[in-house]
Amino acid sequence: MDFSIILENIGIYFEGLRTTLILVSTSLLLGLMIAIPLAVLRTSKNYLIQAPIRAFVYFFRGTPLLVQMFIIYYGFGQFEAIKASFVWFFFKEAWFCALFAFTLNTAAYTTEIIRGSIEATPHGEVEAARAAGMSRLLMLRRIVLPSAFRRALPQYSNEIIFMLHGSSLASVITIVDITGAARIINSRFYSPYEAFLTAAAFYMTLTFITVFLLKKLEGRWFAHLRPQTTSNAPKKV
Amino acid sequence: MNERQTALSVENLYKKFGTLEVLKGISVSAQQGDVISILGASGSGKSTLLRCINFLETPDSGTITVCGDTVSMIQRRGKSVPRDIKQVERVRTKLAMVFQQFNLWSHMTILENVIEAPIHVLKVPRKEATAKAEAYLQKVGIHEKCHAYPSHLSGGQQQRAAIARALAMEPEVMLFDEPTSALDPELVGEVLQVIKDLAEEGRTMMVVTHEMGFAREVSSRVIYLHQGQIEEDGPPRQVFESPRSERFKQFIMAMI
Repeated sequence: MDFSIILENIGIYFEGLRTTLILVSTSLLLGLMIAIPLAVLRTSKNYLIQAPIRAFVYFFRGTPLLVQMFIIYYGFGQFEAIKASFVWFFFKEAWFCALFAFTLNTAAYTTEIIRGSIEATPHGEVEAARAAGMSRLLMLRRIVLPSAFRRALPQYSNEIIFMLHGSSLASVITIVDITGAARIINSRFYSPYEAFLTAAAFYMTLTFITVFLLKKLEGRWFAHLRPQTTSNAPKKV
Repeated sequence: MNERQTALSVENLYKKFGTLEVLKGISVSAQQGDVISILGASGSGKSTLLRCINFLETPDSGTITVCGDTVSMIQRRGKSVPRDIKQVERVRTKLAMVFQQFNLWSHMTILENVIEAPIHVLKVPRKEATAKAEAYLQKVGIHEKCHAYPSHLSGGQQQRAAIARALAMEPEVMLFDEPTSALDPELVGEVLQVIKDLAEEGRTMMVVTHEMGFAREVSSRVIYLHQGQIEEDGPPRQVFESPRSERFKQFIMAMI
């Protein structure tokens, strides 16, 4: 075992780390921005509004992320219409294809998570909001969504970690993320053990930091669920 | 004769759930300062009446007027619906409701619960809303809990917080839907005392209740509902001492 080759080439890993972080955070952010309105519309009783969202969620949850990425990266290039249009400027880039697939994938999962927690809003709290004269939009913004986000956080934490780990698939379509860096080192020095163990260590560290930050957020958001003792009595807001 | 203004008037209210007729032509009006207790066995429609008044349920027919503002209804696909939801929202701000299950917003502190609607619905400046909220919380006796979350309070404290939240809207009429029914017996008194104090201040209130003592002592008028109709209606002294309806007589006997 020779970890000196890792130390000598650690720069590649940090390049990969940067790519992973940008790819994951951008797709999570965009995915969340897509998921919130979709989740709200998904709770509509109107079938014409509900059905396309169901179909979207069904497709992206029903197929593997790798297949989705292949369809976008390899598949789109098969269509002359796409190649001729301006969107090819984006879709010819592997990086964009990965981002596109990740964003839609996480959007689909997140839509379901948020929809579930919107539907679990205590009915009485909604009635109290209506009785106070709130409009639907105000109620959504002030009561339903803040309450739903809190309920969604534990599940969404999982989604963040799945996305982080799922992003390693990007390395398959030539992107040098953390896994991509490990593949380069492996092919250069034929040392798969050192190369991928280092990648694993990077992912573990990222996961650890993510979990730590989410725990902090949970502590703040779930103040109303904590048993009250003198040590963690709600602080002044 | 009566120089007080009519705060709330309900005329000829009908409401059906499926084939079940819950309200069959209820008319009742409240002058400013009236405290009307609504009594009745379960299933008599008393909660539905209250919920129709602020349109948590949509009445099938009949009119509701709050401080001269009559909610106009139209027919859509064979169902009666308010013509303008904005009007309903405006009317609701004049009718604060206190629920049996308190229904405080669980992710907000007590103070946040109380200032929420004044700030975002009535557009009261935050500073002013907070000052008022603190005064109301003081009044219901839970000011020291204003930074606690609802789940950290007892049922009685939560209900008093809900009353403060209702008061903060400075409503024309307060609607109480069985405010003490979900409380442990030893907590009922503290909530009734708060409602009684409000009655003495001259606030207009409609209270659906099972508390006979409260109805008798505090209200200016008692209404007894039976199967969606008003069976007995009058000042408490009159209805309790010489009820006209045989059913109401039996109801009182059963309750005491």
